[in-house]
Amino acid sequence: MSQAIEQPRFTCALGSYQSAVAIKKGVPILHSGPGCGGQVNRIIGQGEGYAGGSTAPCTNAEEQDVVFGGEKKLRSVVENAFKVIDGELFVVVTGCTAAITGDDVAAVIGEFQEEDKPIVYVEEGGFKSNNYAAHDRLLNAIIDQYVDKFHESDEKVEGLVNVFASIPYQDPYWSGNLEGIKKVLTDIGLKVNILFGGESEGVSEWKTIPNAQFNIAIGPWVGLKAAKHLKVKYQQPFLQFPYLPIGAIETSRFLREVGEFAGLDKDKVEEYIEREEAKYYEHIEKMASFMLEFRYGIPRRVYSIADSSYSLGFSKFLLNELGIIPGTQFIVDDIPEKYQQYVLEQFENISELGNKRDIEVVFDPDAGNSQRKLEEDAKNYEDKRILILGSAWDKNLASKLNADLLIVSPPVQYRLIMNCGYTGYEGGLRAIEDIYDRVLATYR
Amino acid sequence: MRQIAIYGKGGIGKSTTTQNLTAGLAELGKNVMVVGCDPKADSTRLLLNGLAQKTVLDTLREEGDVDDLDMIMKTGFGGTRCVESGGPEPGVGCAGRGIITSIGMLEDLGAYTDDLDYVFYDVLGDVVCGGFAMPIREGKAKEIYIVASGEMMALYAANNICKGIQKYAQKGGVRLGGIICNSRNVDREHDLLNAFAKELGSQLIYFVPRDNEVQRAEINRKTVIDHNPKHPQAQEYRQLAEAIENNEMFVIPKPMTQERLEEILIEFGLMENIKDNYVI
Repeated sequence: MSQAIEQPRFTCALGSYQSAVAIKKGVPILHSGPGCGGQVNRIIGQGEGYAGGSTAPCTNAEEQDVVFGGEKKLRSVVENAFKVIDGELFVVVTGCTAAITGDDVAAVIGEFQEEDKPIVYVEEGGFKSNNYAAHDRLLNAIIDQYVDKFHESDEKVEGLVNVFASIPYQDPYWSGNLEGIKKVLTDIGLKVNILFGGESEGVSEWKTIPNAQFNIAIGPWVGLKAAKHLKVKYQQPFLQFPYLPIGAIETSRFLREVGEFAGLDKDKVEEYIEREEAKYYEHIEKMASFMLEFRYGIPRRVYSIADSSYSLGFSKFLLNELGIIPGTQFIVDDIPEKYQQYVLEQFENISELGNKRDIEVVFDPDAGNSQRKLEEDAKNYEDKRILILGSAWDKNLASKLNADLLIVSPPVQYRLIMNCGYTGYEGGLRAIEDIYDRVLATYR
Repeated sequence: MRQIAIYGKGGIGKSTTTQNLTAGLAELGKNVMVVGCDPKADSTRLLLNGLAQKTVLDTLREEGDVDDLDMIMKTGFGGTRCVESGGPEPGVGCAGRGIITSIGMLEDLGAYTDDLDYVFYDVLGDVVCGGFAMPIREGKAKEIYIVASGEMMALYAANNICKGIQKYAQKGGVRLGGIICNSRNVDREHDLLNAFAKELGSQLIYFVPRDNEVQRAEINRKTVIDHNPKHPQAQEYRQLAEAIENNEMFVIPKPMTQERLEEILIEFGLMENIKDNYVI
């Protein structure tokens, strides 16, 4: 038996159905056992969206479907979903049962596709991978099985860009983060296919994916597969930015890189950056006196138990904008080994001052292990304030250590998140507010 | 109650041997249940004089549930109780899970009554997955017989099945009772099977000679004992039944490496000259 892990902060492959929920009028159809979808929703999910959570149609595969195959039931659930749910794109996500039994899902869904129904399928037997890798498969399934049907010309629209950044719901702030990224990219003159959430135009936006001038993948590994796939499929170059751009320094760097890649007018990009930075630092200047006086109240040690994109993004932000040296970074997104070196290199060079930083980075999807190590390390700072960037699962640990906790990773539980996001200039200010909010709330 | 599973390479004659053997046991006055664990559902045809029976899974598929043993169990030759697990249509679903479901259902419905002397599980081909190992898991068959012949692939399969048995033997009480040879008239078959069984740490429990009377009985949907009780082949099956009834040698098999198996084949499976072939 493979090793069990404690407190996984991601889900099995089936979790990618949450990405379908995040598409405007997207409807996931689960071909899985009863309860699988609910489990996913409890770990990565808050609210049901348009047709997620308990609204999502599901075949509730049971013993009969294992023995005789679940194709008939799948067909009937899909037929009925079309009757009762007003959706623009139906995404069939199959779980373990169908994968082991070997249901011919392609054939069943193929029948609907031949009738030009807006439907795709993606086989996400839970054992196949985690939901990070599954999200990439889902993106490619939609592109290949649906978007491509509308692809008529290879002509590219200058300034149109597809962005693959936060994984909806896996990133609890996905909605706000994507909004933040879309805002700054739009402001420098690009037209952005952000694909998920309220700022996306929904399915009509997905149909323009092949016409984009280029793609952006944000994060050290997620989204890369889709970007590489599009490079081959529609000859679109892509730019990778290895972490979430949080605050002024990183957002400006992000925009400069994108501007150059897209061939935008450099002066215009700089003009925008200057304007936004001025606004941003004006807020910080206003608070400078407070922050200076409060410097001993601010945490001496900031740990994070988060995914690689957050961990890098926040570490850069904390060090370079707030002068807080990041403590041990526990990276829990089960990042494949081949990308780990890349993340380590990013950490080595996180300082804006050019000096190499020696930040301890631990790759371990077992967050229980991470908590134990964190607790051990925290003994060295018993009289100091500690901040943990973690998840709801770290609440008990935080109270045991008298530490403050900012939830940046699922499960969320103790925070309601609507459009709060940390990307961009405004996101940076939100991050400062939230960090100080946690610290001040317990300050005596 | 002795619960016995019969394994062996596909097409080796497991179902034919099992049914002829159970007919012999029935003649001895034993109460026997035969559970066919093959999706083809042909394990009880000779006992029932035809494929009249609805399988457990057919019933489950059509009725949604099986709540009465009579729906799935029929009485055949000599009072034998016959059940077919059945399976999904070819190429769909999971037949292994089907067997697990069926056996679970038999238990729930109280098929395992105390008056039974024997329960036979006639399992398809090989132990391909967990479902086909169901009959030898804890609490089920404690005895296994492997039907083999002197053909190379039959021995390969038998050796492979022993690996499955060994795995379950270490956890539970399942043991190999012996190898039943269903002769194909290959060179020095008796010697070869004897050597093979010995190498496994087991025995050749019976050598069933090849006889066309078996084929004639099958065409008539009968076991040989039923079709032509006075035929010498009927006597062979009676003796097989007695050998099983009196068997006391139950071992954890020691499956051999491929190399060793091939050595045995070379040593015993080739004739020096035509005179050695006592079969012809």
